[in-house]
Amino acid sequence: MAMKIGDKPFKERVSDGIGNSFMRGAVSSAQGRLRSGRLNAAEELGNWEEWRKLGEEIRAHTIENLDYYLELLSENVTKRGGHVFFAETAEEANEYITNVVKKKNGKKVVKSKSMVTEEINLNEALEKAGCEVIESDLGEWILQVDDHDPPSHIVAPALHKNKEQIRDVFRDKLGYDKTEKPEELALFAREKLREEFLQADIGVTGCNFAIAESGTVSLVTNEGNARMVTTIPKTQITVMGMERIVPTWEEMEVLVSMLTRAAVGQKLTSYITALTGPKQEGEVDGPEDFHLVIVDNGRSKILGTAFQSILHCIRCAACINVCPVYRHVGGHSYGSIYPGPVGAVLTPLLGGYEDYKELPYASTLCAACTEACPVKIPLHEHLLRHRQEIVEKEGKAPIFENLSMKAFSMGTASPSMYNIGSKLAPKALGAFAKDDKISDGPGPLKNWTEIREFPAPKKDRFRDLYKKRKKERGK
Amino acid sequence: MMGAGQVYNRNSFLDNLAKNLGRDRRRQVEKPAWNHNPQWDVLKDASPDELVEVLKQQCLRIHTDVHETVSAELPSLIPHLIKEYGGKSVVTWDDPRFDEYGLSGLTGELSGDEIAVHVWDCEVVEENLAFSATADVGITFSDATLAESGTVVLFSDKGKGRAVSLLPVIYFAIIPKSTIVPRMTQVAKQVHDKVEKGEPVPSCVNFISGPSNSADIEMNLIVGVHGPVQAVYIIVDDK
Amino acid sequence: MRPMKVSLFVTCLIDIFQTDVGMDTLELLENLGCEVDFPEKQTCCGQPAYNSGYVDKAKESMKHMINVFEHSDYVVTPSGSCGTMFREYPHVFKGDPVWEPRAQMLADKTFELTQFIVDVLGVEDVGAKLNGKATYHTSCHMTRLLGVKEAPMKLLNNVEGLEMKPLPHNYNCCGFGGAFSVKMTEISEQMVDEKVQGVEDSGADILIGADCGCLMNIGGRIDRKGKPIKVMHIASVLNSR
Ligand code: SF4
Repeated sequence: MAMKIGDKPFKERVSDGIGNSFMRGAVSSAQGRLRSGRLNAAEELGNWEEWRKLGEEIRAHTIENLDYYLELLSENVTKRGGHVFFAETAEEANEYITNVVKKKNGKKVVKSKSMVTEEINLNEALEKAGCEVIESDLGEWILQVDDHDPPSHIVAPALHKNKEQIRDVFRDKLGYDKTEKPEELALFAREKLREEFLQADIGVTGCNFAIAESGTVSLVTNEGNARMVTTIPKTQITVMGMERIVPTWEEMEVLVSMLTRAAVGQKLTSYITALTGPKQEGEVDGPEDFHLVIVDNGRSKILGTAFQSILHCIRCAACINVCPVYRHVGGHSYGSIYPGPVGAVLTPLLGGYEDYKELPYASTLCAACTEACPVKIPLHEHLLRHRQEIVEKEGKAPIFENLSMKAFSMGTASPSMYNIGSKLAPKALGAFAKDDKISDGPGPLKNWTEIREFPAPKKDRFRDLYKKRKKERGK
Repeated sequence: MMGAGQVYNRNSFLDNLAKNLGRDRRRQVEKPAWNHNPQWDVLKDASPDELVEVLKQQCLRIHTDVHETVSAELPSLIPHLIKEYGGKSVVTWDDPRFDEYGLSGLTGELSGDEIAVHVWDCEVVEENLAFSATADVGITFSDATLAESGTVVLFSDKGKGRAVSLLPVIYFAIIPKSTIVPRMTQVAKQVHDKVEKGEPVPSCVNFISGPSNSADIEMNLIVGVHGPVQAVYIIVDDK
Repeated sequence: MRPMKVSLFVTCLIDIFQTDVGMDTLELLENLGCEVDFPEKQTCCGQPAYNSGYVDKAKESMKHMINVFEHSDYVVTPSGSCGTMFREYPHVFKGDPVWEPRAQMLADKTFELTQFIVDVLGVEDVGAKLNGKATYHTSCHMTRLLGVKEAPMKLLNNVEGLEMKPLPHNYNCCGFGGAFSVKMTEISEQMVDEKVQGVEDSGADILIGADCGCLMNIGGRIDRKGKPIKVMHIASVLNSR
């Protein structure tokens, strides 16, 4: 499953989403809980704005000096006996990883949650190479068992499914015979996956923050699966998007504290695991072999552009959790494994406008995302910037819109044109008006009046009334 | 001695980043002093006793049982708790602190109740994992403890296997009071200072806050997924 | 004391569709002792083009507006969104040696109506009277980008006879978003329905807002659905006697 999910056109995906009341109920209640969790966690700190400023400072400095910190990281990983592969493309990353697995004669690969491995479609590459790949994050596992249903949220991938659906998936695919109680479902997963962990020879993880100063990768989880994946298999392969890095432990600490609060309202998740190289001499558990794969896959094109700050993202999903558009259309509507505001900004940058030019318009620019983002990424401004690029650089806007915008600038930049235009409005629209309102409007108004009334323009504009009033008062 | 690892494709990759950033490769970067440092304000003036209180309060929220004791009582409290939680098999770290706190006799003490005890042993590789995978209780000391988040921090080492706090159904953490600090900031600083001095960082540092859990099913909290289902902290006055 | 000199920027929606809101704003400010003028050359803040990505075209109307209000002491507008747009101008013209400083001057003297009354005039009770149960829609640009959160509530709480009800999920956008409302109608419909539901749940019979765009959207939907809820601009509420 690469970044792109599904082939339907945008409008159809949106209609499917809106028509899916199961999903919408699940998303809406999840959003409610996550929102209050995040707000409470922020309030408890008392000075969340200070934290956000610090988060922004750290991210901006790190990305601005990304080449330096990645070099330092790789030096420190190798000092501890780990190997580092820099992959410019998804193909390069997959090839390196499958070669490592082949060399180890690996048969069973267990994975902890990682968006970047979804993005590069690692699972398929490994399966082609003859491996069995098992996702161990509960949400990811549910999706995998359900014939690779795509994720709809970057933190809670199976958010679009309710417990009854999950029970049915387990029953149909794995012979599960208990109820839809979340505890029973989770216990079932624990038992099934425990066996897999104990037999696996390769562990694949993502990376929340790599720490340059010591060659460490840190993983933020609640379930304990990432610990399993890095404790039992003999070989560990960690795949990271190239921007997931901080200078030192001190910045890791700050960003982890912000990530867990922003994502789920927790002070810390149950497990923060910081791994430095393979196990040391004399240690019993942990990998004998450690590989770090650093992936570009289109990210470097964003560097040095006005969109650079989207690389500051720490993947907390706070923007997704407050987005009203996401709430109504669901994650799959975005056609990308990165949904919501962050996805609407990032996906067109990684995947191009050809496939994703609607995404920047799927927003009212209400800025709820910008307000929620822990590292202060101006998400709604990036959406606006996309629109600008689509219009001005790519020339991809519809002709009709182009013409009406031309008329707009003529009409608003010149008072006389505005005067004529606004004066004509009542005449032009008068034919459609009844009782001071328009219920079935022409042209672009049609979409408006499909669902709501539109006011009829007044015979006298405010400026006309003002003039009259002034005259009356004058005498 | 472990050899150094390999690096592949580094130069072309990083050159490209520098090019897109509109400059030459940077070989030396001074990390600035950050303008905002709110992390140091959290629980800044809390006394050790206040930190214990904060820790206990937080444990209520993360489904973690807390017991407090003095060091003289610890040797009798631990076997008592193992039985109370229904443990039939126990795995512990091989850590000098077990001796210091009078816990080295655990094996003998529990044998009467037919409770098997395995102490981590780096000579017998597979046995450790096999035993831990089916053990009811895993016991470690805490190397550092974060009051704010209810977190025990474990530094891996020869006798300090990662699996002890992970595979058993119940996890016991013994927390000497002196290990308690306000929050993650202090521990991150400690490790950072180590790095600065050129000392090696442990291969695995775990920050553990309560039992494993998940909210992947309808955002309902489920306690106990892949890691321990129960977490028990035992706070003890220092020796 | 010399009366405050205020230039009214009514916005194109009010000029053409909601003229009474413009009148209420004018009277309200005059009653508060301001000397109000209406620069007749004003058109539109440029937001429709700007938010659709037509920045170059938007800049033309922005420059025009900078010229129009060049000599004003204060620019006051009964629209959080258009006020936000004025405040954004320096950002839009960033790096332009001529227009950035001029844009900054306009931004610095521009205020949304309630913000002006509370923060500049220092008035929290305008002496308005209106009977009914009302709820207030916090529009997104005004709240999040302009940062005006308290002023409208302070003023509304002092309206005699008016009982203010909290609006459930008030932080949610109403689904207007300018072109969004006609480009993404299907999504917009879900959002406005959610908002209308919130208004109904609040138990209010008057919906008050400070942005004509949002009010046209929510009001148009309320009207289409035949709900017995009156929609009022805050200027009209504050000008009720
Ligand atoms: S853009 Fe900001 S809010 Fe959204 S996922 Fe990234 S860090 Fe979180």
